[in-house]
Amino acid sequence: MIRTGIKRVFRLALHRRDRWEREVEDEIKLHLALRAEQLVAMGASPDDAYQEAVRKFGPLVESRARLIDAARHREQRMQRTEYLSDLRQDIGFALRSLGRQRSWTAVALLTFALGIGATTAVFSVVSALLLHFMPYPNANRIVYVSQEPTEGNTTGISVSITPVSQIVREWMRNAHSFEAFETGQLVKKRLKTVSGDPSEVGVASIFPTFVNFTGQHVVRGRMFTQNDIVDGGRVVLLSETMWRTRFAASDSVFGKVVTLGDSTYQIIGVLPSTVQLPPYVPKSPDFWIPFDIRTENLGVWGLIGRLRPGVDIPQAQRELDSVYARSTSTGTIPFRARITTPSQRVNFRDSLVMLTGAVALVLLVACANVAHLLLARSASRQRELAIRAALGAGRGRLLRQLLTESMLLTGAGALLGIAIGWAGLKALIALRPGSLNSLELARLDGTTLALAVGVAVASGVLFGILGVLQAARSSTNDSLKASALSSSHSRRERRFRAGLVVSEMALSATLIVGAVMLVRSVVNLQRTDLGFTPHGLYAVTLPLADYGFETPAARASFVAEFMRRARAVPSVASASLTGVQPGSRWFSVGRFQVEGEPPGPENKTDLIDINSIQSAFFATMRIPMKEGTLFTDTLPEARQVIVNAGFARKHWPAGSAVGHRIRVAHSDKTPWYTIVGVAGEASTSGPMAESSAPLLYTAYDNGHNSAVVLVRTNADARALSPLLDIARTMGVRRPRPVESVEETMHGFLAGPRFIMLLLTALTLLAVALAAIGLYGVMSHRVAQDTREIGIRVALGASGSRIGRTVIARGLALTAAGTVLGLGGARWATKVVESQLHGVSPLDPVSFVVGALVLIAISLVACLVPMRRALAVDPMTAIRSD
Amino acid sequence: MSRLPVLKGTLDLLVLRALSWTPMHGFEIVSWLERAASSSLELEDSALYQAVYRLEERGLLQADWGVTENNRRARYYKITAAGRAHLRAETKNWVTYADTVTNILTVATNAQPNSSTS
Repeated sequence: MIRTGIKRVFRLALHRRDRWEREVEDEIKLHLALRAEQLVAMGASPDDAYQEAVRKFGPLVESRARLIDAARHREQRMQRTEYLSDLRQDIGFALRSLGRQRSWTAVALLTFALGIGATTAVFSVVSALLLHFMPYPNANRIVYVSQEPTEGNTTGISVSITPVSQIVREWMRNAHSFEAFETGQLVKKRLKTVSGDPSEVGVASIFPTFVNFTGQHVVRGRMFTQNDIVDGGRVVLLSETMWRTRFAASDSVFGKVVTLGDSTYQIIGVLPSTVQLPPYVPKSPDFWIPFDIRTENLGVWGLIGRLRPGVDIPQAQRELDSVYARSTSTGTIPFRARITTPSQRVNFRDSLVMLTGAVALVLLVACANVAHLLLARSASRQRELAIRAALGAGRGRLLRQLLTESMLLTGAGALLGIAIGWAGLKALIALRPGSLNSLELARLDGTTLALAVGVAVASGVLFGILGVLQAARSSTNDSLKASALSSSHSRRERRFRAGLVVSEMALSATLIVGAVMLVRSVVNLQRTDLGFTPHGLYAVTLPLADYGFETPAARASFVAEFMRRARAVPSVASASLTGVQPGSRWFSVGRFQVEGEPPGPENKTDLIDINSIQSAFFATMRIPMKEGTLFTDTLPEARQVIVNAGFARKHWPAGSAVGHRIRVAHSDKTPWYTIVGVAGEASTSGPMAESSAPLLYTAYDNGHNSAVVLVRTNADARALSPLLDIARTMGVRRPRPVESVEETMHGFLAGPRFIMLLLTALTLLAVALAAIGLYGVMSHRVAQDTREIGIRVALGASGSRIGRTVIARGLALTAAGTVLGLGGARWATKVVESQLHGVSPLDPVSFVVGALVLIAISLVACLVPMRRALAVDPMTAIRSD
Repeated sequence: MSRLPVLKGTLDLLVLRALSWTPMHGFEIVSWLERAASSSLELEDSALYQAVYRLEERGLLQADWGVTENNRRARYYKITAAGRAHLRAETKNWVTYADTVTNILTVATNAQPNSSTS
């Protein structure tokens, strides 16, 4: 097959060259013959005449080659010119014909642009967050390295533990799966300046290898080295911006000393401002100092590493675990390595995947609609095309013309769509809730643009081919003879258009079902019984450690006095200290044991929610006690614990939990705690968490740097300002503002609600387009059938009967689409599953609502065509041909 | 009889001029030129064909296969609208140019500064 193909191409080329050569040969031959004849006529002998003719012509071989060459050149150039002039003609023609039907063009353009716009906006986010997350070379090999409990994580959320420095050092020394490990931490420090106030600057601490890792180089001076760290690490690099704005880009700063916070650092160099910590750090740092892994622990930034080429994640994970195991005395490890790709860390990854799917469906609906429009249009243009064909336009030429037209349309549509997408993305970023902050990293990047252009080109070609197929179907002759209207009566075309509507309806049905599910899920979340009453509940955070209350004893006396005064404030109904603010979680980590029961396996690590509180907590939160008592003795030595009902049920499904002793053990010496009471279940960490997850409450222990005071009031937040005054008079000069727990709880819904709104918007778009599609097909149908309807009316069919026929046809299409779409939804809702709260992915309500919405919309779409059918005047209709 | 070499660029004009009357094939153009110039131009016949191809490439000529009086297949060249326009413009240029040069060479000899440079 291939060989014949090659041969054909080759022969074609040969054939062409043959033609020029032959033509040139013929011309030369004729010239020589005529010249010889002329000379003979003047009296020369035939032989001499030929010789003379050749002499006059010039050196034969050379001239011949030169002429062939010139001929080839001419041929190519003329082909190009012809092609360009054809193209110009096609474009002019297309513009004229698109311009003639302005409203048609506007609808098609807008439909396609909306599809492209939605795709562009959503894909920009996908591209930035899931495809191009790390701004470093070989980003596809960069992973986050953390740990998780080897066994025992029953929290229902994936836990990632920042490895301690000792383990990281083992890995850096002995793990060969990685080219590099990097970490960093961005803290705000005060920069002391000679003139005026100290200013707050961002200081990043990094390994000496970090700059190399990012693929960049110092602008001036040098990077710090391991030796600098051994010498105490008091060296600093400036960001280029900092160097230029604060230090006047002067080289004399090197060797000088700056004071950051309490320490002084010697300036040794300048880093480009483009060197960045991983992208969720909002702005690039002003200063870079060394991170000393011997003395410091990694911060929230965690650890990232670049895998060696060819090493996969499970392989690397195994190696890290074995390196870690070798470094321990027993060889067992409580935590195993957890390696994640950057995209896995995007907390709304599932939502993005879902939205990508949704946007693809919208794009398909939009394309189907444009296909409709093109079909409807080319049906009315068949005569024109037929005339052109009859006048000698080749099929290739017609194809090119239709292609030019559809490419112009999709190209302009794509441009408009990209603009819409850009605006949409801006809006998306502006409206994002706090939990989706990383959205702001999304840009309209090259990948996205390439996708938009690719879609435009592909659909342009498809639409063009569609038009040609349709034109080809009805023969030239028929089209010329028949009237414009009846020429498109072809059954196949009708079926094709019905197919398009059915698929649009199906895609919409799938989207509606998904959207309804998400709406129901958000409603469920909103209605979730939290187990406590967030309304009227406020939290006041006192950063005690910042104001010199550093020992537990100092904090204890502060909070005791504060609580005494606070409870005396009239607007305070009740108040309690809490270790963990509602909306957060705190875990006790170790081996959970019940006294008298055999302990679990050695390497098991349990994570159990824990909070340390005062007894007043339950009254303040309005969490009912189910059994037992509140703390009867709050001294640490008393070791009393209150558990939640979920905990009690899990361990003592039949009997009572009260009186049992439990512990989360780090060693055999960890003391036992006695259960004194069982509290009701409450989702204190937010509506997404299971309220029945085991939770322990211990007596408030002043171990936290900040004290959080929960206050219930019948008034509003302003009535609680006396609390802040009390804090100020007691020495906490800048207490944080009063926070509403109700708002915190609502905040958890912002993300899901935002995603839900996005999906709903996409769904509405798809449904609107599908409805327009249905409307188009039905109007077309009615227009085609005007005569038939007229005859039927003339024969006595009633108006309601005609109307019913139209509606029934429309609904038949919708019904087919709905059935297909619901079938698709059954499968597609798997994508949504992870985002559903209290709604099953087979939720019958969503399916039924989806079907009803679609049918209702279809009825509306059929109304106008129906009225048109009813308005048909039999006499005009029958005569009209 | 001394023969004049054809100046570069002028051959194109001559060909266009030849074809401005009627379409011709290659040898007819050559013969026309020879007659018109009374054989005083020195020109290889193949150079003419090259000029013709060049003109065709530029869209100043258009070629078609036709049949001669003696029933031979020949490639006939026809001047296009663009060719006519080109001929008009270039003829004007040429005349102006030739006039200017002629004037300088024949009239203004004593107005020249001392010509030490050449």
